[in-house]
Amino acid sequence: MSNYIIEFEDVWKTYNMGNTEINALAGLNLTLEKGSFTAVMGPSGSGKSTFLHVAGILDTPTKGVFRINGKQASKLSVKEQAKLRRNEIGFIFQRFNLMSQLTILENLTLPMINEDTQKAMNILDNMGLEGKYAKRPGQLSGGEQQRVAIARALINNPSIILADEPTGELDSKNANSIMQILQDLNRNKGVSIVIVTHNPEAAAFTDQILQMRDGNVV
Amino acid sequence: MNLYNLAFNNIRRKKLRSALTMLGIIIGAATLVVLLGVTAGATSAVKAETDQYMYDVVITPASSTGSYLMDAETVSKIRSRSNLFDFREVTAFRENINGNEISFEGVNDWKQVKLKNGTSGVVISQDVADKLGYGIGSKIKVKDQELTITGISNVVQALYVHIDQGTAKQLTDDKVSAIYASTDGDPQTVADEIEEQISGVSVETKSENVAEVQAMTDQALLFMGFIAGIALLVGIISVINTMLISVMERTRELGILKATGFTNREIKGSILFESGLLGLSGGVIGVILGITGIVVIANVLKLTEYIPDMMPLWLILGVIAGATLLSVLAGLYPAMRASKLNVVEALRNE
Repeated sequence: MSNYIIEFEDVWKTYNMGNTEINALAGLNLTLEKGSFTAVMGPSGSGKSTFLHVAGILDTPTKGVFRINGKQASKLSVKEQAKLRRNEIGFIFQRFNLMSQLTILENLTLPMINEDTQKAMNILDNMGLEGKYAKRPGQLSGGEQQRVAIARALINNPSIILADEPTGELDSKNANSIMQILQDLNRNKGVSIVIVTHNPEAAAFTDQILQMRDGNVV
Repeated sequence: MNLYNLAFNNIRRKKLRSALTMLGIIIGAATLVVLLGVTAGATSAVKAETDQYMYDVVITPASSTGSYLMDAETVSKIRSRSNLFDFREVTAFRENINGNEISFEGVNDWKQVKLKNGTSGVVISQDVADKLGYGIGSKIKVKDQELTITGISNVVQALYVHIDQGTAKQLTDDKVSAIYASTDGDPQTVADEIEEQISGVSVETKSENVAEVQAMTDQALLFMGFIAGIALLVGIISVINTMLISVMERTRELGILKATGFTNREIKGSILFESGLLGLSGGVIGVILGITGIVVIANVLKLTEYIPDMMPLWLILGVIAGATLLSVLAGLYPAMRASKLNVVEALRNE
């Protein structure tokens, strides 16, 4: 059993822009231990988001080996990859990505493997959202919406949470509150967390900061 | 909350668009039901009217006998012939009642007797009612038997009483005026054989025109089905259009579903469920409207007794199932597009 939650071995992700090839990931070698809390930083175009998308099996590498919780994603079928995303990975996005037509409780119960409304309400309570179950995302503040997104990420007890600029749309007070929640989840529940951020204050909450440039960790 | 609830939700929150999409299916389904229903009813009516002429041979007493009835022995000889089948007997006779010559006719299929009032059983014409002062419930004495009048037909200017063929035969000591039958041989040859072998009977063969008329009504049913099918197809195309627009509008939402672990198959299933639901709802509403239309048309054309023939179960279930199935098929392409969306690009979609 591997001690690593994420393993990248010489991973490349190449895009073709006309006649030009762009290496978003250029032979990335990286391991993250289980239970780690990591920030990935770097300038725009450094490959941070591509790294997160590959790590979350939202995107496939052009070549190289990538494992999540010991499982090599490229060897899994599309259906198995979807199941792995549902069971092992929780996503948090900069723009929350909640379903606007659903209540926040429905946003949580929709991706649940076994629908358990009580569990969903407990998680929302822990996020300080008690009594707001029937509200729709548009009726909540940005900070509250991001807390709903965190609650959704936790709903299937994932091994890892991948967060893409989780504080990007928030003021500093809400940003600190969100980072505090993530830190508590890491320290008290042992959930591995990777955040991609431009914000040094947010990165300061993590245990390790990786700098990326030109598709690799520097 | 599951993906199927979500699909249902999508229809509900886009009420106007869903209603307009369904409208196409509703119009198609209603047109199909009305056109096919009315044609099926008309076909039924034509068949009912012409069935009495649908035979290979008709055997009646020869004019030389001076009788209009064949006795039981002759009937038995005819019925025992191995090359005849599908027998239909008619017994008709006249009876003098209170100085009026009344014609009594045995009826095998009461659909052929148009009732003005009452029910089948013993049905008098309006003239009999007027001349003899009879009404429903009156007793009429025929050959020492009393019959109770159950209905009045719309036969005018004729003194007619229609009774069950069984009763007519019983009243005439099992005599029969005409026997209609089918044969597996050449009708003319069979007719000649019967006239040769059974004395006192005359045999005629059927008119080919009747078969042609019935074949034409069947063709009309097919043609109407084809025309109405095109109407339904137009409705189904609107489902493809709506579902494609819906998938485009919900690109980001579909990306979220994929990111949260829904499989391509589940996403495809929800799109197909949504389009199928539109088809089912449109089909059911269309059938209800179509049935209403049939009732109105049947009343206008005074064909109310054929209403059950105008809405056969196969038509109702077929239109609903067809609208649903075609809508599911219409959702296939949008569903494939939805399931093949690139998650990262979908999440970037505004």
